[in-house]
Formats: sequence, structure tokens, C-alpha cells
Amino acid sequence: MIPLTVIGGFLGAGKTTLVNHLLRGGAKRWGVLVNDFGAINVDAALIAAQDGETIALTNGCVCCSLGDDLGDALAAMGGRGLDHVVVEASGVSDPWKIAQLALIEPGFALEPLVVLADASALLAQVADRWTGDTVLRQMAFAEIIVLNKCDLVGADQLAATRARIAAIRPEAQLMDTARAELAVAAFSFAAPPRPAASRFQAEAIGHGFPTYALPAARAFDRDRLRAVLGDLPRSVLRVKGMCHLGPEASPVLLQYAAERWSFTAAPAGLSPGLVVIGTPDLPGRAVLCEIFSAAVLN
Amino acid sequence: MQDQSVTIFVARRIVTLDPSLPLATHVAVRDGRVLATGGAEIVAQFRGRLDGRFSRNVIVPGFIEGHGHATDGLMWRSPYVGFFPRTSPDGQQAGGFQSIASVVDYLRSIAAAMPDATAPLVAWGFDPIYFDGPRMTAADLDAISPRRMIVVAHVSGHILNVNSAVLEKAGFSPDSNLDGLVRDGAGRLTGELQGPAVMGRANRATGDGGLLRALDVPGLRDYGRIAQRVGVTTSTDLANAMTPDNVAALQAATEDADFPIRLVPAMRAREYSLTDGLARIAALRPQSTDKLHFGLVKLVVDGSIQGFTARLRWPFYHNGAPNGLWYVAPDELEAIVTAYHNAGHQLHIHTNGDEASELATEMIGRAIAAHPRADHRHTLQHCQMADAAIFRRMKTFGMCVNLFANHIFYWGEQHAALTMGPSRVRHLDACGTALACGVPLAIHSDTPVTPVDPRFTMWCAVNRLSSAGRVLGPAERITAAQALHAVTIGPAYTLKLDHLVGSIEVGKFADFAVLDDDPLTVDPATIKDIPVVATVMGGRVFIGS
Repeated sequence: MIPLTVIGGFLGAGKTTLVNHLLRGGAKRWGVLVNDFGAINVDAALIAAQDGETIALTNGCVCCSLGDDLGDALAAMGGRGLDHVVVEASGVSDPWKIAQLALIEPGFALEPLVVLADASALLAQVADRWTGDTVLRQMAFAEIIVLNKCDLVGADQLAATRARIAAIRPEAQLMDTARAELAVAAFSFAAPPRPAASRFQAEAIGHGFPTYALPAARAFDRDRLRAVLGDLPRSVLRVKGMCHLGPEASPVLLQYAAERWSFTAAPAGLSPGLVVIGTPDLPGRAVLCEIFSAAVLN
Repeated sequence: MQDQSVTIFVARRIVTLDPSLPLATHVAVRDGRVLATGGAEIVAQFRGRLDGRFSRNVIVPGFIEGHGHATDGLMWRSPYVGFFPRTSPDGQQAGGFQSIASVVDYLRSIAAAMPDATAPLVAWGFDPIYFDGPRMTAADLDAISPRRMIVVAHVSGHILNVNSAVLEKAGFSPDSNLDGLVRDGAGRLTGELQGPAVMGRANRATGDGGLLRALDVPGLRDYGRIAQRVGVTTSTDLANAMTPDNVAALQAATEDADFPIRLVPAMRAREYSLTDGLARIAALRPQSTDKLHFGLVKLVVDGSIQGFTARLRWPFYHNGAPNGLWYVAPDELEAIVTAYHNAGHQLHIHTNGDEASELATEMIGRAIAAHPRADHRHTLQHCQMADAAIFRRMKTFGMCVNLFANHIFYWGEQHAALTMGPSRVRHLDACGTALACGVPLAIHSDTPVTPVDPRFTMWCAVNRLSSAGRVLGPAERITAAQALHAVTIGPAYTLKLDHLVGSIEVGKFADFAVLDDDPLTVDPATIKDIPVVATVMGGRVFIGS
């Protein structure tokens, strides 16, 4: 499974700067699908090959045009040995519409929805009669909101912008950048593992989103699992993992994000178990276990 | 001594749209152009060969479709399953399906005749808003063939019905809970796909056999036949990517002397970066010929009203649906408008909702303030919900409008019930207000969205009847003379071709529609039914079959 991160944000928020930063940095072998191929700006010396709207870089990264269909573009990314795929949504589109399509793309695991905001312009944009609702809609399902261009604004405006974002999307984590130089860890829910400080932290993997691993040893009833997913609290951002469905116990890969989900054929080699990722309000492990136990086959 | 180079057509009446001689009975033609108009005296004056075959008919300027798409000619490679009858390139009546069962039966007969048992079957023009009872489901289509992929595209352009084979190939399962996948009360997928994201995935599953065909010469020929049959002698192709293949097809089709219409393609600006787009249109313009006119630049600002993607002002959608989408951000629109305006090009800008029309007008106003330019004729296309205030600004800025009059009939009831409500629907495609505000007016079909037929488009603007037979906004009705203007010299003006086409005047192309009766004197309720006898394009007679 290749991790897939969708990045959104209004025109001028810094998406292209971020993409250029990723490609040049080469911290991972990134595959990047961009909306405006012409805005990609990497050193000619870094370009290993270019074929139409696809560039292969010497550092192993690949960049190509998103085009009309996410599935087509992801297919073109296959077989290139990439570590992580990043999809740049257009400046006026709703990135969540694109992200949820990734739930049914075989071979990809949906990581946090990252939405960039221009700290110097956001307050004006959300108040603007022409752009306000578009900017709000883009943030509605964001899990990480990147407040970019923080160096351009004073402390008061920064505080007011943070407060506005917290009111729009309290579930999201806020990160500050100056030139969209976002840490690699922000593209994944799972931060690099670190030793547990105590036995109480053993299950809470080390990053800002509370995360629990739940067992899924017993098969679920398909309809009751759907009902459970339909009723999950908003503090649940993601559920993913392998489980078995029905009396025949067919193995499926479950991916859930923001009230949308899919079961697809499970890739070989996964063992049963669900990872639940949420906001700080996420119920505890015992409550989550009880919620999912309602779907277990008798 | 007769001058063999001059042909003089005689008609019962010639409605010229030439203000210096509005009515005539004779028109002399030489070298494809109008040499003279008048009465019988021009026979002696110009000594031409008399052509009397239209002597009982009425000649009007050849109709101009100011907003059509030549892809109409490609659609007919797939079966048409619409509610309203429609004429194929061969002149056959198609469609008229009044139930799901009749559509399914028809598709079953098509599938049975297909040599390849696994090739996808893609149908278009489905219009179930006129059916009572349950909606089409995957099971309806599975009954045709369990293995073959079947796609039925709705005429609105915003919904597909597909069978189980397509759902499976696209990766949509009962366990895919995504926006745009419609479910029944029991949670099963119905096979109805709404919105570009899930529709695009289904179209990808069926591949090139579906609705993604590229424009080619046979398709252009078929579009020419469709348009000629309804009296059109000039048509736009209002959203063309202008790839080398597109341009080669346009050139090859129009170079053929048998091709019956002039084409005016508009370059889709968003296919290119600003720099590349400016270079592309500049390179295309000098390649224009008598039958192929480059120069228009197309921009799309919002979606469609019936798809709930048009941008509306308060009070937004009548049924409470969220406001639609910008297809281009306001700042980007300003940059694009400014760049093409400053470079001297003409913009044709798709705006369906009133907020989109307001925004485009504002951006053109800013471009003009920064860079005054006479006679730009930037045109808003569709502009369906503009009110008097928007039209007044458009007039101030020297803009034109091309209104989607056919919508009043095809979707007027939907707009009254769901999108606009009973009040705002009165100024849907407000031809009367546009003219009262002095905005140069054209009206259109947006074929293949609705069938190209300027008689029908005139009828819509004159009568404003919905499909249920109600008059929607009687104060916005225009006269037959105004409507004829809006399908001839009106669109010619919006295309900057009014010196060449759109009226029957000395020096202009001899492009005529020959009708069985006079649209200005028949009962206005029958304008759409006047038979088209022939067209004349560049002096050459084309008889539809």
C-alpha cells in the first residue's frame, strides 16, 4: 500500500511552492500529481527524463499532470517504486471530493487531508463575497491545516487567523510554515516510531492524532459494520485495516474517512486489525472496542 | 446577353435583415456573394440566370448557431435514448422514449446487433425527469446483458446510469460509500452516478468507446448535415482544445466544397498556460478562411444550474442546495480576461448563474478601465440568470450576450420547482430585458445539450413555453422579428462576422435559409414548425434529405 496525501487550498496558499519543495528536497521518492504542470519549477540538472507532462527526477521523484481522472493519473504512477504519492487539488476545487475517491483506489492508503491557508490573506478570503464559501468548503474536512506565509503577518493577525480556522474546522491540527516548507511527518498519520516513554503510551503512536489499534480477530457482519461506520462520532477521522466479513469470513481492506468508506479486496500479507485515528476528542480504546463489537458476528 | 456568372434567386419574400431594404423578392449572387437585392428590376439590371425553384418560399439570412458544439456529430455513433425526438445526421427521427422499459427494450435490440459481445454499449440523451415512477437502476440494464458494460448518459450531462458490469470495472461496490453513488432505501447502489468524479471513473472504465471521442472529419461532416437541415449556414464550435489534430480536422472538413456550413471554433483557454494560449490563438487567427474563422477564446466560470454547480447570488438555490462551484478563481479570471483583452482577442465566457455573470462583467469592466479598447465584443454565453442591473453594466462595458433560450422549454419547470423557484424563473434567459438594456443579443441551443434548431430557439424566446405548456415570464417574451435577429445578424455581431454573414446585403456571403413560410408573419406558436426547404451557402444550394 502506497500512502496517498491530498493537498488542497485556495489559489496563492502555497500548494505549488510546497510541491516544488518536496520534489527538490527528495526526502522520499515522492510521486506528485499536480494541477498546473507549467508551474513546476525544478533545476534542469535534477531532471532525469521528461515525457509530455511527466517528469522523472534524478532523486527518484516523479511529477505528472493530474488531468481529468485521478484513477488514470494514479495508474501512471504505478510501478515506479514510489514511497508516497501527493495529489494537488486545484485552487478552486473541494479537495475532499478527490480524497474520497482514493478510498477505492487499490494499492493506495489515504493519509491526512492537508489544506494550505495563506496567513496573509485568509481572513479577507473567508469574508470575500465571491471566494468565502469556496475557502470554507476546502477546509471543512481538512485534517492538517497549514498556515503558510506566517512570516508575512504580525502576531495579532496570526492569532486572529488561527482563531478563525479553529472555528471553521476545530478537528484539524494547525501547522505553521513560512515558505510552505512542511515537515515530511505532516503527510502521514503515522509519525516515525519512537520508543514508548512508559507502558501507558505503548498504544498511542507518537504523533498528535490519538491513534488506537483495535483487534479484529472475529469476523464482522457486513450490514452491522456499515451501520457502525455510519454512526461513528465526528472525532473519528480514519479507520483503516484488514478485517473479515460475513459467515464466509472474506478478508477485506476497510478504509474510512469523514463518513465515507470503502471495503476493497485485502492485499495479501495483512493480519487482521483496525487502526482508529481521531481528534483529541476521540473516545478511549474501551469505548471504540465496544462500538465495533456491535458489528461482530455472533 | 445573360451573365452566366450571376444567379438570381426569386422568392415569395426575402427577409434581408438589411435596414436599407428589409424586404425583397430577388437576390442576385456572384462568386458566392450577394451582388444585388431588390425586386424584379434586378433581373434586367444584372442580367443573371434566374433560379425560380424557391419562388413560393421565403428566404431569410442563413441561421447562425452562436453556441453549439460540433461534438454533436460524434454523439450519433452511440444510440440516442432521449424523451424528445431528435433528428440524426441521416435525417432519421430518433428518441421519443417515454418510459424506462422502452429505453431498455431499445438498448436490448442494439446490444443484440452488436458483433462484439463484450464491447461497451453507451447511450446518450436519457431524460427521465419526464417519467413517473421509480428511477432507472443497474438491474434494469443488467437485464440487457450481464457481461457487457452499459452506460446511459443523462441529457443534462450531470448523471450517468450504469449496469453492474460498469460498477464492478470502476471499482464501485456496495461497500463503496462515496459522494455521488446513489443508493436505494436498502443501501444498495442503484447504478446512478452523480458528479464528475464518479462519472469520470465510469467513463474511464468504458474507454474510448464511450463519450470521450475526439473530434474528427466524419464527425464534423455529420454535424454539418445536422445543422444544414435546420437552416444553419454558420455555427460555432464553442469549446475546442485546438490541438493540431483538432485544427487539421476543422481544416479538412471545411475545405470540402460539399461541407454545408461555416465553422467558428473557440479555443478553450484553460487548455493552455496564459503564454501558450496567447501564442496559440495568435497563430491560429491568420489561418482563417471563408469557411473557418479562428479568433474566439472560450472561458468557463461556473457549472450548470440544473447540475447545481452554477454560482448564484442570494437567495441561492431554491431547494437549499449549496451554492455551485467556481471553475476558475476570481483572481485567475481577472488575470486571464486581462491578458486576452490586452492582446486584442475576443472572449466568449460561459456564465450560467447570476453571480458568475456578475463576476465576469466586473472583470471585463476592470480590464477595460485599465486598457480601454473599442469594439471588443466580449460575450457572456448562457448568462441565464442575469437581471437588469447586470445587463445595464454589460451595456456600459460594450459586452454582448448569447442567452440559452432553449432552457425555458427543456428545463424551465425544473428551474421553477427546484433551482430558481417560481419568482426568479421569470427572468431565466431574459431576452426582453437584455434588449431593453441595449445589449446585443443572440440565442442558442448549446447542441448537443439541446438540439440545434434556430427555429425552435426563436420559438422559445418568442413564446417562453415550458415543456408543461406554461408561459414562464411573459414580460420577457420578444417579437418574432427580434428573435430572427437573434439567430442571424445578432450572433454574427457577437462573432465579429456581421460584415460577412447574418443578413442578405450586397457584398456579404450569399448564405440563406429557405423556409416554407415567413417566421415574421406565421402564428408565433408555429415558428418551430416552419419547414426548412434548403440552405444556400456561398451561393451554393444545399437540400437536406
